[in-house]
Amino acid sequence: MGEFFTSAVLVSTVASGLRLSTSYLFAAVGETFGQRSGVLNLGVDGIMLLGAFGAYYTVLNGGGLWLGMVVAITVGLVMGLAMAFTSVTLQAEQGISGIGFYLFGLGLSDLLFQKLVGTPLPIRGFPELRIPFLADLPVVGEMLFSHSIVVYAAFLLVPVAAFVLNRTTLGLKIRSVGENPEAADTLGVSVAGVRYLTVMTGSALAGLGGAALATELGIFQQNLTAGQGFIAVALVYFGAWRPVGVMAGSLLYGLVASVVLQLKTLGIIPRSASELAAMLPAVLTILALVVAVQRERQPAALTKPYERGA
Amino acid sequence: MAETLPGTGGRGHGLDLAMRGIVKRFPGVLANDHVDFDVRRGEIHTLLGENGAGKSTLMKILYGLYRPDAGEIRIDGEPVQIDSPRRAIELGIGMIHQHFMLVPTLTVAENVALGLASPKGPLLDLAPVARRIEELSEAYGLRVDPGAMVWQLSVGEQQRVEIIKALYRDAELLALDEPTAVLTPQEVEDLFVTLRAMAAEGHSLIFISHKLHEVLDISDRITVLRNGRLVGTVSSADATKAGLARMMVGREVVLEQVRAPVEVGPPRLEIFDVRARGDRGTEAVRGVSLQVRAGEILAIAGVSGNGQRELAEVVAGLREATGGRVLIDGSDVTGADPGQRRALGLAYIPEERMRDGAIGQFTVAENLMLHDFDRPPFARHGFLDFAEIERHCRRLVADFDVKTPSLDTTMKSLSGGNIQKAILARELSANPKVLVASQPTRGVDIGATEYIHRRLLDQRARGTATLLISEDLDEILALADRIAVMYEGEVMDVVDRADADVGRLGLLMAGVRDSGT
Amino acid sequence: MRKLIVVVAALALVAAACGGAGDEAGGGEGAAEQPFRIAVVAPSAINDLAFSQSIYDGLVAIQEEMGGPTKVELAVTDGTFVVEDAAAAIRDYAAQGYDLVIAHGSQYGTSLQEIAPDFPDVSFAWGTAGDTFGLPNVFAYEAASNQGGYVMGVMAAALSESGVVGIIGPIEVGDAKLYVDGFAAGVKAQDPTVDVTINYTGSFSDVALAAEAARAAIGAGADVLTGTAQMVVGAVGVAQEEGVLWFGTQADQTQLAPEIVVASQVYHWEVVLRDMIDLIQQGTLGGEAYVIDLANGGEEIAFNPGFDLPADVKQLGQDTIQGIIDGSIVVPAGG
Repeated sequence: MGEFFTSAVLVSTVASGLRLSTSYLFAAVGETFGQRSGVLNLGVDGIMLLGAFGAYYTVLNGGGLWLGMVVAITVGLVMGLAMAFTSVTLQAEQGISGIGFYLFGLGLSDLLFQKLVGTPLPIRGFPELRIPFLADLPVVGEMLFSHSIVVYAAFLLVPVAAFVLNRTTLGLKIRSVGENPEAADTLGVSVAGVRYLTVMTGSALAGLGGAALATELGIFQQNLTAGQGFIAVALVYFGAWRPVGVMAGSLLYGLVASVVLQLKTLGIIPRSASELAAMLPAVLTILALVVAVQRERQPAALTKPYERGA
Repeated sequence: MAETLPGTGGRGHGLDLAMRGIVKRFPGVLANDHVDFDVRRGEIHTLLGENGAGKSTLMKILYGLYRPDAGEIRIDGEPVQIDSPRRAIELGIGMIHQHFMLVPTLTVAENVALGLASPKGPLLDLAPVARRIEELSEAYGLRVDPGAMVWQLSVGEQQRVEIIKALYRDAELLALDEPTAVLTPQEVEDLFVTLRAMAAEGHSLIFISHKLHEVLDISDRITVLRNGRLVGTVSSADATKAGLARMMVGREVVLEQVRAPVEVGPPRLEIFDVRARGDRGTEAVRGVSLQVRAGEILAIAGVSGNGQRELAEVVAGLREATGGRVLIDGSDVTGADPGQRRALGLAYIPEERMRDGAIGQFTVAENLMLHDFDRPPFARHGFLDFAEIERHCRRLVADFDVKTPSLDTTMKSLSGGNIQKAILARELSANPKVLVASQPTRGVDIGATEYIHRRLLDQRARGTATLLISEDLDEILALADRIAVMYEGEVMDVVDRADADVGRLGLLMAGVRDSGT
Repeated sequence: MRKLIVVVAALALVAAACGGAGDEAGGGEGAAEQPFRIAVVAPSAINDLAFSQSIYDGLVAIQEEMGGPTKVELAVTDGTFVVEDAAAAIRDYAAQGYDLVIAHGSQYGTSLQEIAPDFPDVSFAWGTAGDTFGLPNVFAYEAASNQGGYVMGVMAAALSESGVVGIIGPIEVGDAKLYVDGFAAGVKAQDPTVDVTINYTGSFSDVALAAEAARAAIGAGADVLTGTAQMVVGAVGVAQEEGVLWFGTQADQTQLAPEIVVASQVYHWEVVLRDMIDLIQQGTLGGEAYVIDLANGGEEIAFNPGFDLPADVKQLGQDTIQGIIDGSIVVPAGG
């Protein structure tokens, strides 16, 4: 066990945890916006896959990483528009229609990949961006300040999201619509407008999360996300619908996964326990969810469509 | 809404509203049938009518929540289209809904600022909002802390927030839908002071209530609706309770039943130090002891949510007592199930009549027979005697004046008043020793209320011990022999009807114990 | 409610149309002679540069060898990682009268055991597995992936300067376990002082986790890596980025990272497919369990021509292959 507590191992474990958290964080912060306004989007994973493919395909064809990000955001916005139309305008049951969107994204991303790309070819992701001065600090420099720009962006998104939700008039509208849409409506707030905005923002971030995954890994593959979008939805509950809580959940998930990987690599976890250990992040998250979830903080109107006068 | 600090300038106070020939149809219902209604500057104008008379529909049209099928709205003589609440607010119309339109997880200031532009553009700036709230609180006697979370506020405080919300938006005309239903008598007095101050400044006010004494107290004019049609508009000075009741119901109504003196017998219902938990697990009933005698009506007064419902459910056997004992006719029934209690002579009229009192999809006859279908004379050796059942049901429907197309009509298609009369028929047909009646006339029209009151007094004369739970002080004063006031799960005091007045009861309901008497 | 049903149904249809794309490859055009019809159901994509691609490449090779699409008709359903979907596809192909239906995934065994007896005239093949359930119309096939793994392990130990070699696997079963154990045994046989870190990530599909496992191995000092199953594409990318060497398996992975892939173990399933087709055409529909290995040509070590492999190491690899074929080297079969 002593091997684990060397600074080199700790540094690489934490850095690995941060990288693993990144795509969850994009998707979960995005989902937080939707849920705070009362819309549950279970299609996150499918949107991530489409965003991932969009970015991968753009980069593969020489469009460049930044254009790839723009494509992923655009794909997310289009999917978000469709999701909002289904859940806000048509008032479909959100859990079921979300699964529909997931299957759509899963199927379409694979179809496009098979037809347009075929054999997976590697792409080059964003280079490591060492933050001047900070990256040269001992231990933490390597741990926190020598990542690619998408990792920083994901974590910077958290205070931005918290600020928007808590300190802006838009945030006040979002919170109100998620708690008591009728009250917001009587004060002239467009419930549907706010929900379209949050669902589309959330989907754009899910697309970006997928793009982060594809560019960081430099590859696309069928079902690349392997269910990350569903974990992201759970992390929103885990984080009690607060961006900072969501970040804590994402970090926990990422760090547990990286610690388990590290312990297996060092042979501290015996191979006979390997599969059990691999389940640990999911098991821990579920346990934490059961123990820590603050149900009373759940937006009161979550999953409830709003109809005036009904 | 371009202005950043509303209420500081611009228009003068008040506006003249005229609604002409308003028609609103819903599938199968004509909710408003060519209704005319107008309000002048500085006037408090009451809209009066039974449930379903069309008051709420008319107000929702005024506030842009419904679009009328025909008719015209004029403000200060100019025709206006009100297609959304936003437009209504722009025109200076404010509305206090019966169910408060507040976001419980936000602060008072956030609730007030919601939907308005901020002086700092996209950034929230609550400091000037809080200042303005304090100014409005000062000016209209609406005490409230701008930084408090709404879920922590009392009902009366929440109502003040609603009024501040409207004033903050420069409301010149304010409509209040049943604002007194949830208030203690003192809070009603405070509200009336505020409303009068607003009217004196020129605000136009629409007041909706069915409590006739309040209506006569606060209004300048009164407009009565019935079945979606305008019955008439009268000046408050010329109106009487009886006259208004006649306009609402369309016939003469006996508002005050005669309470003949009755010989009081032995105790039938005894409650000793009963405790119980509420739905959220907190202690809702904290050591209540009461006794109800044969031929007596004991009423429990109090603002809703002070443990009355839980107490009634403990007596009926629907909620477990965590402490204390309940006796029916001398037998300890603390651990008994509802059926055993019923066998001892208990009858129960629940507060949620469609949830606990009747099965909506069942027919009227089936509902009337819910308790007795499996015993003689209605069933023998496991077979139902349909002829006997039908005879019995016909008699009950006739006796209790249940207006139903047939015995095979489903319960849910009856009106609230008739559902309640059917439940009453079922519960009283066995001539119970103990009756627990929870909110027996809530949401019931005046005609049915009159009938239900008469039956409860009849039962009293026949020696039933009645525990009446009501939030309507008028009802309690009309029926009760003794009045117990509950506050936060405890009985504050038990008062004889002869010694009771509204002021004293109101103080007890607010948790203030007698100091002098 | 109706709105909801319509929306969900529409989405599900689109998704189904996209996901379970059953490609009909080839197909005889008015040939007088009926072509031999083969269908394959595979869990991942047929161009995954790993498990599913190996069977598809083998089928295409057989098709060319036998005279092209007029002689052999191929049908493919890939990406059926959901076993129920795979079972439905297997049953469909059997009902359509295919001569040989291949269930390419050890997880499809239970389904096949139920389906095969219902179609006694259709021949089935189950891989990678060694068991025919005793059914007369089921073949089984597997690869002695420990042999190729051993050869590459020997070379990895010779190439490692740091003295640490990393292996990344999905779940410790079947083909993956066999390969990992063989590779580790090869490393130890060449140089017992070299450390081997083995990391089963617990997932066949989590590319991100495989990538981080590669980083962890590199962090632990590894300068040569290998890995098996379709999620290793992420690990290959990390190896390329960090400039450490990679050995591939199941397919030639050179194109994923031309600078650092040393060699790949490639499966030639056509070796056993050819025999199965002969037997079927003679009227024997199953009962045989095949193993491909270095000796029967079903396994091959494909060197990356673009990688400057020291001649002595390449010689070491080829000597090891020869030793396994002639029996002078015995590769432990897992454990």
